[in-house]
Amino acid sequence: MTESQVQPPAAAVWILSRLLGDSEREAYLGDLEEVFRTELAAGRSVRSLRRWYWMELLRAPISRDRTHVSTPSGDGIMQNTFNDLRFAVRLLARRPGFTALAVLTLALGIGATTAIFSAVYPILVAPLPYPHADRVAMLWEREKNGSQDNLGWQTFDDLNRANKSFEAMAAMSYSNATMTGGDQPELLKGQRVSTPYFSVLGVAPAIGRAFLPQDDIRNTARVIVISNGLWRNRFGGDSTLIGRAITLDGNPFTVIGVMPAAFENVTAPGAQYWLPLRYDASLPYSCRTCRHLHVVGRLKPGVTGSQAAREINTIFANILRDHPTDYSSIGVEVPQLQVDITKSVRPVMLALLGAVLLVLMIASANVTNLLLARGAQRQGEFAIRAALGAKRGRVVRQLLTESLLLAAAGGLGGAAIAQVGVKALVALGPASLPRLSTIAVNGPVLAFGFAITTIVGIVFGLVPAMHASRADLHQGIKQGTRRTAGSSRLTRAALVMSEVALAIVLLVGSGLLLRSTARVFAVDPGFDAAHVLTMQVQAGGKSLPNDTVVRAFYDRVLAAVRAQPGVEAAAFTSQLPMSGDFDGQSVGIKAHPAANPADNPSPFRYGVSDGYFEAMRIPLRKGRTFTAQDVGASPHVAIVNESFAKKYWPGENPVGQLVTTADPSKDQWMEVVGVVGDLKQLALSQQESNAIYVPETQWPYADQAMSLVVRTKGDAAAIAPAIRTTIWSVNKDQPIVRVVTAGQLVAQSESTRRFALVLFEAFALVALVLAGAGIYGVLAGTVTERMREIGVRSALGASRSDIVAMVVRQGLRLTAFGAIIGVVGALALSHLIASLLFGVSPLDPATYIGVTAVLSVVALGACAVPAIRAARIDPMETLRME
Amino acid sequence: MPPANLGELEQLVLLAIARLGEDAYGVAVRKQIATRTRRELSFGSVYTALTRLEAKGLVASRLGEPTAERGGRRKKHYTISAAGRRALQRSLNAIRTMARGIDASWGTP
Repeated sequence: MTESQVQPPAAAVWILSRLLGDSEREAYLGDLEEVFRTELAAGRSVRSLRRWYWMELLRAPISRDRTHVSTPSGDGIMQNTFNDLRFAVRLLARRPGFTALAVLTLALGIGATTAIFSAVYPILVAPLPYPHADRVAMLWEREKNGSQDNLGWQTFDDLNRANKSFEAMAAMSYSNATMTGGDQPELLKGQRVSTPYFSVLGVAPAIGRAFLPQDDIRNTARVIVISNGLWRNRFGGDSTLIGRAITLDGNPFTVIGVMPAAFENVTAPGAQYWLPLRYDASLPYSCRTCRHLHVVGRLKPGVTGSQAAREINTIFANILRDHPTDYSSIGVEVPQLQVDITKSVRPVMLALLGAVLLVLMIASANVTNLLLARGAQRQGEFAIRAALGAKRGRVVRQLLTESLLLAAAGGLGGAAIAQVGVKALVALGPASLPRLSTIAVNGPVLAFGFAITTIVGIVFGLVPAMHASRADLHQGIKQGTRRTAGSSRLTRAALVMSEVALAIVLLVGSGLLLRSTARVFAVDPGFDAAHVLTMQVQAGGKSLPNDTVVRAFYDRVLAAVRAQPGVEAAAFTSQLPMSGDFDGQSVGIKAHPAANPADNPSPFRYGVSDGYFEAMRIPLRKGRTFTAQDVGASPHVAIVNESFAKKYWPGENPVGQLVTTADPSKDQWMEVVGVVGDLKQLALSQQESNAIYVPETQWPYADQAMSLVVRTKGDAAAIAPAIRTTIWSVNKDQPIVRVVTAGQLVAQSESTRRFALVLFEAFALVALVLAGAGIYGVLAGTVTERMREIGVRSALGASRSDIVAMVVRQGLRLTAFGAIIGVVGALALSHLIASLLFGVSPLDPATYIGVTAVLSVVALGACAVPAIRAARIDPMETLRME
Repeated sequence: MPPANLGELEQLVLLAIARLGEDAYGVAVRKQIATRTRRELSFGSVYTALTRLEAKGLVASRLGEPTAERGGRRKKHYTISAAGRRALQRSLNAIRTMARGIDASWGTP
């Protein structure tokens, strides 16, 4: 850049030219530019010159009397605003400590609120990214106890044919497939869907086509639609892929479509491909009790959700009448898709939003307090202005400009904090958080941040502004800057009390969550999670064509893993506790046949290898565990857990009882040979449920995926690579997924609670610090104001401890009032987080007492410094000052 | 109207204008003060003083020709008026009178 191209900062020139009066504008700007260029030519750096120019702007003269609004010309208001703004910038720049503290406080409040809103927005506010997303609904069977269940294919088929409320309806099931050919076999997640799936969502493939009815017929050519991510990452975004075949599980599939990059598949997040469902009534797993399908539908325009629900339930009542023994459910629920996927996290998100708004309120109260304290010091300035003829509105405007400027700076800082906060939020967020990929600081979130910044700026600016403009002229001038008006002191006390109250509410919330989390993790999972590594091993594809080969593969893997150094025990299980696995099985009991098969117990079913209970250290209560002799050819056996035994054979010996997982009329009985302890399958906080264990080798078919559990002598995580290599030495085409220690699984099962706890703790900490700062600020202010009084008191014989006690008393009085209000507020509000609590009542007295104690200690600390300062006041000096 | 009292800044600016004669304008005034007193004034201060002096009738101004180095803007030249000269003399006299005898005892370099 040559020198002649370097210009003074255009923005500064523009602002200056609007600030200066007509008479000096030209000469003034010319002078500045002349110096700018001369100095530049003399070798001064552009940067320092620009800085100098901006400083010149700040020190530019006030060309008109600022306290009069009487400029009649059109740009008078603009002129005034600029003057106000410039004056505000100068004032704030003159007190960097105050400004930094206020901006930082606001940035924290606004940033945290914006970050939380960025997660709340896509989950609870923004519609799903489908056309008329409010018309997309899920369908679930409703059980007697109110829980929801999947649908069997024939139920879906009946509802789909008979209803007139839906434009289209699609059934969905999960799918896994292994893609080989890369460095390592890769497990893909996908979905099987009936034909109208994509039109129900209202999204068409970006290239190629969606499924047609002829694709959904069994034994026709295999077709597949893939996600944009898979297309880009595995196939390099090759547009000629359409019509070509790709290989999954050793079988060729013709690619017919690629979904758009923006397509968000909320019914199965992370799905990389879609296959036609290809069910018909002849399939054994199409039965009414084979309830493993999810159903989504699109309502016809003008049909409401409740109308559709009424129609569907009428149809379902007919189905129930025709098939009385097939259903344990009593109705069908038709929730909107958005409500359905966000239901589980809604309480957490709302609680967090509430908590962060409390933080924002405390931050605003704190800044209001800072401004009030400063307003008190500026009493003289306002009085003089009023005396010179400034109208009340003019002063209010000036103060509002200052507070809005502060808020704007806080808002900018807040946006930066929100950026970082959102990253932390996504990293911390539980896997169950829907729409995780859409959580970001985007347009609507920034608009929200801007809106709260403005509201905060106006609200905390108005309070001091009203005080300042009400000030008594005479008093103000006479007293100068030394004393504040009593009303302002009252307001500040009230603000500090509300800060304390709000902090108590937050502290109670996080205290309750903390105690809940401690209680949850004190729960015995029913197995020993220490030193256990788990991983899921897939078995499929061309190299493992049938059950015999698959089972032989599992056996060889187990033998190889058990031979590894550092391995104490190893076993396979078809479902792993707390991993999200969920597999129930209807069980018939010979001694207690149920009249309606649907009323049979439906325990968790575990197909396990021998040595499973030993590897997991699940205690044996009665009988024996499985041995290597319990194979397909030997008599079929089962083990039940304590809950199952207690419920179905109360007072009887469960060992020796006969049960079946097949139709009891087929007489395929298994003998119960043992009873083991209960364990937590879903999460630590869930009730124990019934469980039945069977030898994997005696199950009618081999599981395509088994979880390997390895009890190690040393660190469980460290052995993972060696185990993986061992498995691949047996068969290199089988993907290994979900490699985690059992300890991690236990922790993850409570990740939503942890997520809420970590955030609540962070917010409570900020609230505590802010409330402490608020108490300190008010006390420090009063000590300064009452300097003379304190001096007189000590001159009249008050001891230092009397004075310390006086200040501390004032601080503790504020705290006590605030705490009482806070405790009442917390008692009223804590039921809102009841769904996040475990084993702790929302009214838990220990939490309330503990929280109040913590706050009292902080309050005492905040009182100490001003109290000591007050005690050190020299009476002679204060009296001389008068 | 009695002669106006001058603030220190106004004195400095008036003295600078008196020294500069025909060449007195914002940049020159600021530079004159900077080289003689080692005080870097902002243009804000200089123009505040100039505007006030002009309003009191102590200086007069006229616009010069536009130049490229000033971004095509004109200079505003200032000249000291008769009233300005009187005010300056008055305040300088006051200072000399008050300072007489003190300089020596402070050991002026």
